[in-house]
Amino acid sequence: MNLNLVGTQSIQTSPLKLWESVIDPAVLQRSIPGCISMDETGPGEYAITLELKVAAVGGNFNGSIKLSEMDPPNGCFINVSGSGTLGSGTGTARVTIIENEDSSADIKYEAAGEVSGLVAGVGQRVLLGVAKHLVRQFFSTLKKEFDAN
Amino acid sequence: MVEKKYKFISQPRHPTENRRFVAGRGNFVADIDRPEMLHVAPLSSHYPAAIINNIDISEAMMMDGVIDVITGAEIGAAIQPLMNGLDTPKVQRFPLAVNRVRYAGEWVCAVVAESRAIAEDALEKILIDATPQPFVLDAEEALLPSSPPVHPEHGSNVLLDRQFVWGEVDDDFAKAKHSLSFSVTWGRNSTVPIETFGVVAEWNGWDQILDVWASVQMPKYSDQIARCLNLPGNAVRVHYDVDVGGSYGVKRGIKHATLIGYIARKLGRPIRFIEDRLENMRAGDAHGPERKFNVEVAFESDGSVRSMKMRALDNAGAYAGRAPFQLGKPISAIVGPYQINSVSYHAISVTSNKTVQEAVRGFGQAPTNYAIETAMDRVASFLKMDRLALRQRNLIQSDQFPYLIPSGSTYDSGDYHAVIEKVLTAADYPTLLANRDHLRDEGMMAGIGIAACLEPSGGNSSFEPLLNESNKTSTWMESCQINVDGLGHLTARIHTTSSGQGHETLVSTVLGEVLEIDPSSIRITRPNSLESLPGNSPVGSRMAIMLGGAAARSAEKLKAKLIKIAAHSLGIDAEKLTYAGGNVLAPDGRKHTWQDAVELAHRQFHNLPEGMDPGLAAFDIMQVPTGNALPVDGKVHMYPCYSFEFHLVLLAFDPVIGRPEIHSYTVGHDCGTVINPAIVSGMTYGGIAHGIGAALLEEFAYDPNGQLMTQSFLDYLMPSSHEVPPIKIVKHCTPSPHTVFGQKGSGESGYLGSPAAISSAINDAVSALDIRFEKLPIRMSAISDAIANKSA
Repeated sequence: MNLNLVGTQSIQTSPLKLWESVIDPAVLQRSIPGCISMDETGPGEYAITLELKVAAVGGNFNGSIKLSEMDPPNGCFINVSGSGTLGSGTGTARVTIIENEDSSADIKYEAAGEVSGLVAGVGQRVLLGVAKHLVRQFFSTLKKEFDAN
Repeated sequence: MVEKKYKFISQPRHPTENRRFVAGRGNFVADIDRPEMLHVAPLSSHYPAAIINNIDISEAMMMDGVIDVITGAEIGAAIQPLMNGLDTPKVQRFPLAVNRVRYAGEWVCAVVAESRAIAEDALEKILIDATPQPFVLDAEEALLPSSPPVHPEHGSNVLLDRQFVWGEVDDDFAKAKHSLSFSVTWGRNSTVPIETFGVVAEWNGWDQILDVWASVQMPKYSDQIARCLNLPGNAVRVHYDVDVGGSYGVKRGIKHATLIGYIARKLGRPIRFIEDRLENMRAGDAHGPERKFNVEVAFESDGSVRSMKMRALDNAGAYAGRAPFQLGKPISAIVGPYQINSVSYHAISVTSNKTVQEAVRGFGQAPTNYAIETAMDRVASFLKMDRLALRQRNLIQSDQFPYLIPSGSTYDSGDYHAVIEKVLTAADYPTLLANRDHLRDEGMMAGIGIAACLEPSGGNSSFEPLLNESNKTSTWMESCQINVDGLGHLTARIHTTSSGQGHETLVSTVLGEVLEIDPSSIRITRPNSLESLPGNSPVGSRMAIMLGGAAARSAEKLKAKLIKIAAHSLGIDAEKLTYAGGNVLAPDGRKHTWQDAVELAHRQFHNLPEGMDPGLAAFDIMQVPTGNALPVDGKVHMYPCYSFEFHLVLLAFDPVIGRPEIHSYTVGHDCGTVINPAIVSGMTYGGIAHGIGAALLEEFAYDPNGQLMTQSFLDYLMPSSHEVPPIKIVKHCTPSPHTVFGQKGSGESGYLGSPAAISSAINDAVSALDIRFEKLPIRMSAISDAIANKSA
């Protein structure tokens, strides 16, 4: 099934700092929900292992993340693919960073994904909710990176 | 016709099997526990089509408790492909995907472990590297030469494309005053037994034998397993005493049994695999026909239907199997119960990247009946004629039997008008009409549904040679064996599995009737395949006719021997003796009892007639009555018996909510002489419930990406006690001239006409709005959306 997510998050930092953190594997590993490992496999390319447990949907996933069309600090494309026992998924997100007048920055994402396997069929009703929950979790952890500084 | 009176047959007797099932003492496959048994979990493909580049099992193999991981490459090299009914040798199927996956959910590899839980955990450690490929889901698209072939080696997606013309179709169309055409679609659904498929296999290397316990309903099961595993036929022993928790056609289990048999032999330990519900719904043998019909009918102004052109396009899913033959069985009743002079039939079966289609109750007859009955409703609507009167005009008359239909089958007997009259009386038709109009006055959408249809029975599968000319099979036999022990008690062996059809009741009732002894005193055993006579398993509504027939014929042989022994003992010609209640009576009043015969046959060889063998045993191997010829010129006689059913239903729904509620359901059923009334009623009731599911709820629906969206009971909706109303079953008996007691088949009854009747009722309810529902299931969302669109 297809999964589309669009949203914007404001973070109290400059576009440049936000950009740097979004492309920093260490930050990403801390922020991506259930991320167990993230290894660089090439420029802007990472192998990733996830252990996700959200309500009825849970399992291990192996995947890759690839950043492309990098335009610091304005944005990039992120391609994600992964698979596990419960299913496979691929997705592309366009990420745009916009400077706000109040010295914060907006991060805008438009993601389109396709999910297959057990999660697609059994999880169809909860899948969008789960995806939104995971995105929220990602940003709330990411925000904490800047609170600490 | 006057019904012959029987002592046990047709009498209200409790089915023999009830006792152990009600007490929870059935012997199901999950009850089979072998020492050192290992368990299996299969890994399913996420993709509808992909090339498998690599399967990394290393991490899974290192887990505690994991014994082995079997891949498609391994099993593809070790065993023969599963049997393919069609002449499509390059459409090969193995228990696991070999190199390429062809539907989402297909099994890619199988973990063998000390427990099912460990096996499932190990699935998570297997890494599949696969490259997704283009795929096709829709049958019309699959038919296009440009569609991606599911089996590239085969070259296209077409499995079967046969055009039959029976009679002067063009002529009849030219002569008829009117014609009309329409399309209807039968959605992909199933039978969903409570018990999923399961199998236990054990290899004994010292005896060189594979024991198989399975929840199965599959013709020639042990032969198929042996052929796939390169074993002699007598090295596979399928145990027939395993109770089956429902099948209705789908418990085929051949890919499971070959996989588990292979593993059992490889590892030398007993292996169990019982599908969980998701495995069953996605990749078990769950999916039934998915069929699109284009129908054109020619008719006169008085409603007489002269000719029909039917194109049936079936979506077989990823492999051939036996499923395409489900386009063949309906040929045996292609005109339904009607006098239609000529028919053309274009049968097409295509592969797609969906789960493989398997046999489902009626073997394709229910979809075809739905198309024929829709044609009747459409003609009536075109002519503004009463739907019932139109059917009554076209029905075959009782004095026209035996009735040869254009496609070559001869209907044995029937009195369709009488059954309909009984139903109209029982349902109080004028009141039913008044109730419909009253509901309409109250603002409800109310409709009456009508369906008349046939159940071809006796299981002669002559559609095999008809659709595949390299297949020369005309034999469809069944066997029974009986033995009287030294104490005089009768034991009968039946040589197949039973999936709730009550074969023990059937055989004991028939034997009791012929031998005039109490059926409850007769022991029925179900040995294994190596201790059995040949048979074709309980498919095609055949067992009352075939197993009942073989039992009766065995009993007649035994009875003849009892009379011969008595004649010799009493010194009287056998012709002068009469048989009564197990004893043989002489005209002079002397009586040679059952026990006298037992004494002589078992212990006094010196007192037996000269040349007679000792003991009291008999067996019979019976061919299907009337099944004695291969097809000629695209025509063949298929089934010996044709049961009739007539459905009359009133339903109503709120125009905004659109949820149909059945207010009244009456069915008339004529399956000739009924052996056990409780069993036949149960089958009919269950069949109608099944049909309600097919008509309103059940569908294996796919999203555009080839993912199955309805794989659990959350999404695959089944009729429950809320949806299944009380059903009035009206019985009628027109005996068949071809069977021992006049019995016909009833195993598929109810299901064959109820989807057509419910569709007819819903379409009647919305007729004033000029809405037509042309696809089953008709979900409540479709109803409310269609009405909302009209009102907007």
